[in-house]
Amino acid sequence: MRIHTYEKLWLVAALVLIVGFIATITYGSVGLGISMIDDSEETLSPDEINDDERFGEPRVEQVGENEYEAYVVAQTFIFQPDPIEVPANSRVTFYVTSRDVIHGFAVVGTNTNTMVIPGEVSTLTVEFDEPDEYGIVCNEYCGDFHHTMEGQLTVVPEAEFDMTELEAEADDEVELGDETTVTATVENGALNDLETTATFEIGDQTVEEDVTVAGQDTEELAFTVDSTELGEGDHDWTVTVDDHEESGTLTVVEDLEGEDETGADTDGANGTDEDAEAGDTDA
Amino acid sequence: MRNTFVDAYPDQARFIRRVFATSFTAFAVGAFFGLIQALHRTDILRVVESPTYYTVLTGHGVFLVLSFTIFFLVGVYQWAVTDSLERRPVDMRFTWGWYGLMVLGTLLAAFAILAGFVESIDVSANTLFTFYAPLQGHPIFYVGLVLFVVGTWLAGADWFRSWLAWKGEHPGERIPLPTFMVLTTMIMWYISSIGVAVAILAFILPWSLGIVDSINPTLTRTLFWYFGHPVVYFWLLPAYLLWYILLPKLSGGRLFSDPLARVVFILFILLSTPVGIHHQYLDPGIAEGFKFIVMTNTMFLLLPSFLTAFTVVASMEHGARQRGGTGYVGWLRALPWREPAFTGMALAGLVFAFGGFTGIVNAGMNINYLVHNSLWVPGHIHTQVGTASALTFMAGSYWLVPQLTGNRLVGRSIGLVQVLLWFIGIVFMTNSMYRGGLVGIPRRTAEPQYEGFQYEVAAGSVGELNAQLAIGGILLFISAMLFLALMLLTLFNRDSEPVDNRTIPAPLSGPEDSPAVLDNLKLWAAIAAVLVLLAYTIPLASIVTRGGLFGPDIGPFPVTIEGSGSIELVRMGLEFALETVSR
Ligand code: HEM
Ligand SMILES: [Cu+2]
Ligand SMILES: [Cu+2]
Repeated sequence: MRIHTYEKLWLVAALVLIVGFIATITYGSVGLGISMIDDSEETLSPDEINDDERFGEPRVEQVGENEYEAYVVAQTFIFQPDPIEVPANSRVTFYVTSRDVIHGFAVVGTNTNTMVIPGEVSTLTVEFDEPDEYGIVCNEYCGDFHHTMEGQLTVVPEAEFDMTELEAEADDEVELGDETTVTATVENGALNDLETTATFEIGDQTVEEDVTVAGQDTEELAFTVDSTELGEGDHDWTVTVDDHEESGTLTVVEDLEGEDETGADTDGANGTDEDAEAGDTDA
Repeated sequence: MRNTFVDAYPDQARFIRRVFATSFTAFAVGAFFGLIQALHRTDILRVVESPTYYTVLTGHGVFLVLSFTIFFLVGVYQWAVTDSLERRPVDMRFTWGWYGLMVLGTLLAAFAILAGFVESIDVSANTLFTFYAPLQGHPIFYVGLVLFVVGTWLAGADWFRSWLAWKGEHPGERIPLPTFMVLTTMIMWYISSIGVAVAILAFILPWSLGIVDSINPTLTRTLFWYFGHPVVYFWLLPAYLLWYILLPKLSGGRLFSDPLARVVFILFILLSTPVGIHHQYLDPGIAEGFKFIVMTNTMFLLLPSFLTAFTVVASMEHGARQRGGTGYVGWLRALPWREPAFTGMALAGLVFAFGGFTGIVNAGMNINYLVHNSLWVPGHIHTQVGTASALTFMAGSYWLVPQLTGNRLVGRSIGLVQVLLWFIGIVFMTNSMYRGGLVGIPRRTAEPQYEGFQYEVAAGSVGELNAQLAIGGILLFISAMLFLALMLLTLFNRDSEPVDNRTIPAPLSGPEDSPAVLDNLKLWAAIAAVLVLLAYTIPLASIVTRGGLFGPDIGPFPVTIEGSGSIELVRMGLEFALETVSR
């Protein structure tokens, strides 16, 4: 075949350029460690999400000194959890799956970006050095209101990040002369032990109790209340652990007619959680 | 004596005129939809409600990149085969038959899409042109697409038949270059469109009809992209054909090298299909190794385009020197810049070269994270198929349509304005899209204005980006309408004579300079098939093993717009969300 000299030169130059591109990208993967979304995760059928250990409750979890995992579920037209809260100076692996159609998960203005396909789990590891706020958008068309599908990613200063959760339970009513108990449950989502003090207040009484919650564990505290000291009427109470507070009202009555001894509903519904937790996203 | 195409083959000219009319109708509707999108996204003018934006966008995609481009392709290829083999099809009824099938397919798909605007018709297909399951359109949409593709298969069969008949009459002769280009394109098309045919016929259509009730979204998506990359070459190769065949003549010279043109088209047969996974770099469920292989294949696929750049520029230079041009770059001035056919193609080539570099960014596996599904991608789309192909088609029409009608082109200088307007419009629109993509503005979004965050534009502002996008879109729309007006006027410009005749000068270096094996189409098809098997067998097997042939019990999500207005839509959206949560 007859090929013009310039043409040959051009051909060689083009090939060199192509090999150069391939080398650059290979360096990006191997040298810089920018790896691709891949098939390393097991498949997860959308109808198994609710029972899944990780995705049943979408949340952020600590898995190492400065390492976290975020289990994120995308569905028309929201992300869970929202916002996603992680500390600065951390390494976060996002695990993202879809409950329905194909979505996207992109942290705006960064290269954190993946497709989210029902049946599959995408993983991405990202390092966050500084506190910041980012938007998350679904960047794959997923239906009529696709354009409303957004979320937030907040990187909070390390010191402000906490994974403690507090719940409190108490009776609504107690008969004058009886004792009742307010139970507080402190959950420590972090890996390290949590050493803190729980404060219980009712009427003019204040009880302080030191508590140590092991990493990724919970502790129950019981505060006993003597109704005689309080006297008849409504009494507001609060339980405080660090920045978390639970509160409720206890009514001391003359006698509890027609009701059995265990009293009214005690599922903690009378306690209101006043702080928005990362990972607190029950739908 | 007058020697235009219509003088030599009146019935073929009539046929191709009809095909072009179909193509241009789709272009008109698609361009109008593009204008709506450009104004809607930027919140400058919203004539539809945002959920309806996706009906518009589905139409824009389907009408432009399936109907406009592919009808134009079959028209040009019919011209190229007829003109270079100097013979009519074996059976003209068959030719009209496949055209009819393509039209029927288009009408069915168009009906399914456009019915999305009409509340009283319970049909819609707001799936966008990629129709990723589990989003589901009306079955009519999928049936339409299949008929359309089958129509193109028959068109290819028709051209092969013409060639075989010609071969019988011309034993031992080399395949004329234009026909060679047509046949190689079709081999690529047969190999690649099987993917979308299987995706629809085996999975999506039965599922949309309720015959099977689940689907593996990764599988249908992978089959779509198996076809989705080669289809971009299906849009591009008719432009290449015009650059190789027509542009040298318009420049005043002849093609530089016939052998190299053949090599380029063979490279496309071999490499265009085993690369589709590069659209799935960010897909879970596909191993990194496959993505890497595909990345290297994709980079090698740059080669035929680099070679084309050389040949095209060399042919232009040759033409310019024939016209008296001299100097190192001074020859550029001797080119026929007043000819819209020439200038349009030259500008299209320029935009294509720029867009090619943005394509390298997309293809760069790990850089892809930054741009995937951002507005950068439509930026790339509009420089490539939206200009390299579309502007070449328009420019080519300025020469072809007079050949097909026997009429002189009306408004040559307006034609020049038209191609320049397209160029300016595309520079504005894609500049905005590329930059917007880099700051994270997503594509395929009716309202890329979010509540929770602001885009951080380094130089400029979102307002400025929006203005550019809208201005660009408006200029493009005006340009498209000018083009269509000139075509219509030319069609009715009877009692006039075209300026040119139909002859295409022979290349400087002819086919005799290349080995005959280049014309062994069976060989290249076989190698291409092997490469496809190598690239796809393992990934497909792995996808099926992971997710099952029919997927892990994933039901349909019909994207239908029902009821009246937005309240109804909000209600549906909420119900839908609640339903999925409580399941
Ligand atoms: C009148 C000129 C045009 C205008 C104003 C225009 C405008 C637009 C806009 C604003 C988008 C982005 C939509 C979004 O992502 O939300 C878009 C997408 C697109 N355009 Fe155009 N366009 C024009 C011509 C063309 C042409 C000639 C082609 C191809 C031949 C084309 C092919 C596409 C494709 C394939 C997409 C992506 C569709 C999708 O994401 O599903 N456009 N266009
Ligand atoms: Cu979405
Ligand atoms: Cu591609």
